[in-house]
Parts: sequence; structure tokens; C-alpha cells
Amino acid sequence: MPELTFKNLSKSFGSHVVIDAFNATIEDGEFLVLLGPSGCGKSTLLRMIAGLSEITSGELLFDGDRANDWHPRQRGVAFVFQSYALYPHMTVRANIAFPLVMDAFKKWYHLPIVNAVARRRLMKSPDIAARTENIARQLELDSLLDRRPASLSGGQRQRVALARALVRNPSLYLLDEPLSNLDAKLRTQMRSEISALHHKVGKTFVYVTHDQVEAMTMATRIIVMNKGEVQQIDTPEGIYNNPANTFVARFVGAPPMNLVPVTRKGRRLATSNAQAWNHDGELPDGERLIFGVRPEKLQFLAWGQGRMPAQVAVVERLGAETVIGCRLVSDEHGGTTNLVENDLVFVRISGNPRTKINEQCSLDYHAEDVVWFDAHTQTRIPVRAAAPALV
Amino acid sequence: MTSTIALSIFRYVLIVALVAFAGFPIYWMASTALSANSELYSTGQVPWPQLQKLPELISAMAGVPIGRWLFNTFLIACGTTVLSLLLGSLAGYALSRFRFRGRGLVGFLLFMTQVVPEALILVPLYAMFITLGLLNNLMGLVLANVGFSLPVAAFILKSAMDSIPYEIEESAIIDNCPRFGILSMIVLPLIMPSVAAAAVIAFFAGWNEFLFASTFLMDRSLWPTSVGLASFIGQYETPLSAVMGAALLFSVPAIVFFLLIQRQIVAGLTAGAVKG
Repeated sequence: MPELTFKNLSKSFGSHVVIDAFNATIEDGEFLVLLGPSGCGKSTLLRMIAGLSEITSGELLFDGDRANDWHPRQRGVAFVFQSYALYPHMTVRANIAFPLVMDAFKKWYHLPIVNAVARRRLMKSPDIAARTENIARQLELDSLLDRRPASLSGGQRQRVALARALVRNPSLYLLDEPLSNLDAKLRTQMRSEISALHHKVGKTFVYVTHDQVEAMTMATRIIVMNKGEVQQIDTPEGIYNNPANTFVARFVGAPPMNLVPVTRKGRRLATSNAQAWNHDGELPDGERLIFGVRPEKLQFLAWGQGRMPAQVAVVERLGAETVIGCRLVSDEHGGTTNLVENDLVFVRISGNPRTKINEQCSLDYHAEDVVWFDAHTQTRIPVRAAAPALV
Repeated sequence: MTSTIALSIFRYVLIVALVAFAGFPIYWMASTALSANSELYSTGQVPWPQLQKLPELISAMAGVPIGRWLFNTFLIACGTTVLSLLLGSLAGYALSRFRFRGRGLVGFLLFMTQVVPEALILVPLYAMFITLGLLNNLMGLVLANVGFSLPVAAFILKSAMDSIPYEIEESAIIDNCPRFGILSMIVLPLIMPSVAAAAVIAFFAGWNEFLFASTFLMDRSLWPTSVGLASFIGQYETPLSAVMGAALLFSVPAIVFFLLIQRQIVAGLTAGAVKG
């Protein structure tokens, strides 16, 4: 299994820089997720690993060997495309067996007529037939082997694409948003299946997605990207609890982390609307800060019981839990506080409380749950003994 | 209910009328072939085929090497089709998939071959064929025909290839399939209707070829049927029944070829017309 190393890897299309000086290492057997919004360069990075896109500058190392100019077949990778890219004119059996047939193909087999005969004979060879049927059985495709992709459902097609990737037993699996075309229920099911598959085969998976739920549930490590730059490389817990900057804080989590710009004077924090309260924990240096707290870490209290007076603006009942969007107010008749990106502070509470819109309330928090960011650089300022972000 | 039946009857009558209109020339060809030459030039033609004239027709055609001419026509048509598809698929693939300097110019030059009339390049081509030793040679005629049908085939195939998602090819690259294999095993099977359409165009270009054949082929034994048919026309007499008999024989293989792949052609010609 190869260890992948990226050294100042860059990709440009003309003057447009898609990926800028990417540095990272992907270790054996890990499930690495490239997470980021559309157009951030994550698929381009995956294609460069596969050898489908040229590398503009920098180095890509497979087990320490420079692989920039290697042909895709030299890299020994399997690629699952977003659209699955199955061969529509071939049966499921032929689709799955195709990589094995190609590995056994000789140059003169490409001659007309010889080609068709050779392919048919190779497909029926005991080794290829057994491996095809074995992988089809594992992915519950054995009853569909003689059907064509057009007659399969989205989930079945997705499984055929996975089977085609698995059958060659490659050392590295590259998956480009393979679940994005599935409905929500099937996506959840396939998420578990892919995770189980990773545990079973024990190979390295590099998985591209813009869906943070997929990233958080499947990854052993996540690389968060934005505009071609790495924002953070960490475990899912690290990304969630200690985001490296405000972009990661807002990109990961639903609802995202609440970010309130505050001005610090001693232990007192003041918002843009003159709302102020005393912070009881450690505070970073600096006057202009961004106060960050996850929705589930905020306490939703009655008016006057918490340090942050608020007014309910949105109530989203999700069944087992409720997400309440509040406006921070300086007093009962005061204006609202401006936050980063939107004006609502979200609180996630369990159960289904009888909260109404425009109800007066207050919010509070524990000091150890707060993440601090520099208002100017937007990067996290560590104030307690937490694992530093790897950026 | 009554109006539905009336509409249905009208529809059938219309279809029969159109089929009769389209098929009448073939019927008339058969009818003329099975008529006496004397009737055709004097008393007028009997409007139905006279089967008793069949031995006369056979004896009239025995003097001409119609079998040889049909074989030559078949060789020219098949050669033109195979070469046009082979080179056209390579050219179409290159134009569809590769970004190279002068790509637009290549496309323009291919298009230009369709604008230049055949008669215009007849003399230069004749001079070239003398130099290359291709005069009075079926291979030379095939090459001349390919020059005209190849660009059409290349454009038809290029357009079809443009509609194939590139991810399918990338998937094949990952699966260790070489570039030529991608074309032959993935791309061409996916655009089979367009390949059939290009094949029909190339085949009929070769089958109906007359101008180059009558200019470049001197030996009677090398003539295709089109030139052979024209040779029936004499200064004082034209054996019309023999001409029509030969024309009928000339039409049959072409009709059979068309019927064999007509389903594919219709799909190919309408491909991309409706968003799928």
C-alpha cells in the first residue's frame, strides 16, 4: 500500500490557480476525506493523484517515488466517479470484469474480430470469472450480473462502480463524490457500506465530498479545503471541536458554529450592539476577537437567567431535538447584534420545547466550550491545552 | 367512433399512395426490363411485367459482364466504407477529444472538401494518379471516393463522440485500457447508430460513383456497374430492357444493405435531436 506525499503541489488552468502549494501526507490504510465547497479544487486533487490531470508544479510521491509523470495504470489506483462512469453497452458482469480483462489483454487482441473473441474468452477464464462473481456476491450484485447499467437503480449502479474498483484489488481507492446522486436514505445506507468496506479491505481510501456529514461519519482524517488552499488537516473530532479558522468553524457542523464578534475589555466582552457580559474562563490576548460556540454547547434559558439576553426568531423541530435561532438583544426593546455571516445564534436542545417565535429568552455557556478566533486573521487562538490545528 | 375509423382508413390510403409513389420507379424498372425492345420503341410499353420475356432479357444481358461489374461496384463501395469508417473514426476521435494547435483549421479543411465540386479536381487527380500509378486501378478509385466520404464520416462520428461523457473514457484509462482500445471497445460501440449512418453515406457514395470511375478506369473489366450501364447507350440504339434489367440488379444489393441497417441509421440521424 503506498504512502502518498504531496510537496507544494499546485494546479493552474492558465492564470487561474486551482490548487496552491498543497502539502500533506496520506498514510497507509487511512480513510482520508477531502472536504470543501464546490470549486475548491478537491476533485482536481483527486484527479492528479489518479494521473488524470497533469500536475502544474510540486511533487506527488508514491512511497517516496516521484509519480508526477506516471501513467494512471502505473499508479495502481481505483477510481469511483461521481456519475459512476459505467460502460452502458456492457453487462454488469462485463463492467466488473473489464479491468481484469484489460490486465490480461495483449496488444494484438485489439485487432477487429480478435478483440471480441479474446474478450469473451478472457471473461470466461476461471480466474476472472471467479473474481467477478466473488466481488458481485460481496456487494449483492450476483442476481444482476447479466443486466445492463440502464436497467439498474442509482444504488445498484453505485455498487457496480464500487465492484469494478474493488475487483482489481488496488492499493489505493479514489472516490469522487460517489454518493451525491443518491437520495438521502440510500446515501445513509451506502455511507455505512463504504465505511464497512474500508474496514474489510484495509486499504487507503481518498474520498472527495462537499457533504460534511459524509466526512464526519466516514473519515479517519479530514482535509478541509477552500479556494485551492488547505484550511485544516485533522481528525473529524479535531476539525469539529478545534476548527483552525472561521471558515472551518462555519463549514463543519449543521447548524454551523455560532461566531460573535466581540471587543474585550478585561474580562468583559461587548458585542456590536453594546450588549456585554463577563467571561468566567481563560481569555486570549487581543482586543478584537470572535467568540465561537457550537449550538449544542449553548444553554437555552429563561429571560434573565443567562448572560446573553436573546429573542427567539426561528424554531426548527426535528423530532428528537429542536434547533432554535435567536437574535442577541441588549435589552427587552433593544436592537440586535451583528454576527459573522448571519444575525442568528443557533441553539440545539434535545426534546421538543414549547418555544414560540419572538419569545424573550437568554443564552449561556461554559467557558471551556468557547473557541476564540482573531477578528483580523480569522484564525483560531488557542487559550487552553488543546491539540493545535495542523495548518 | 366512425370518425376514428375514417381517420384510420384515410391514414392507410395515404400510406399506400406514398408507398406506391416511392416504389413506382422500381416497378417501372422491372416492367421495362421484362418488355420487348420493339414494343418500347414502337407500340408503347405494356404497363405490367411480361414474364415470358425473361429468357430474352437473360440472353440480352449475357453479352455484358454484369456480374463482374457488380463485383467491382461492391469492392469499390466496401473499400470506400471500410476506409472511411476506419480513418473517419480516428479523425473524429482526435477532433473530439484532443486539444491541439490547428484543430479548427483541420475541421475547416475537412469541411472545404465538401464545397469543392468533384469535376473541379478531376484533372489534377488524373495527373496525380498517373504519377502514382493508380490510374486504371480499383484501389485508386477507392482512394478518390474516400477523399470525399471521409470528411462526412469524420464529422458524423465526431459529433456523436462529443456526446459521450469523458468520465467513461477516464474510467477506461483507470481500468488499464489503452487509447486505441478505448476507441474500439468503448467509444465506437456507444455510437453505433452514427457509425451505421456514416457507413450508409460512404457505401452509397462508392456504390453510385460514376464520374471518377468513367474517367480513371479504362478496362471494361474494371468498370463498376454505373459505368457499365452508361455504356449500353449507343449512338443509334439503346437496349432499354437490358439497361433496366442491369439497373434492377444494380439496385438490389444497395436496397438490401440499406434495409439491414436502416434502424441504426434512423437512430443515428436523430441522435441528439431530443434532450435525453
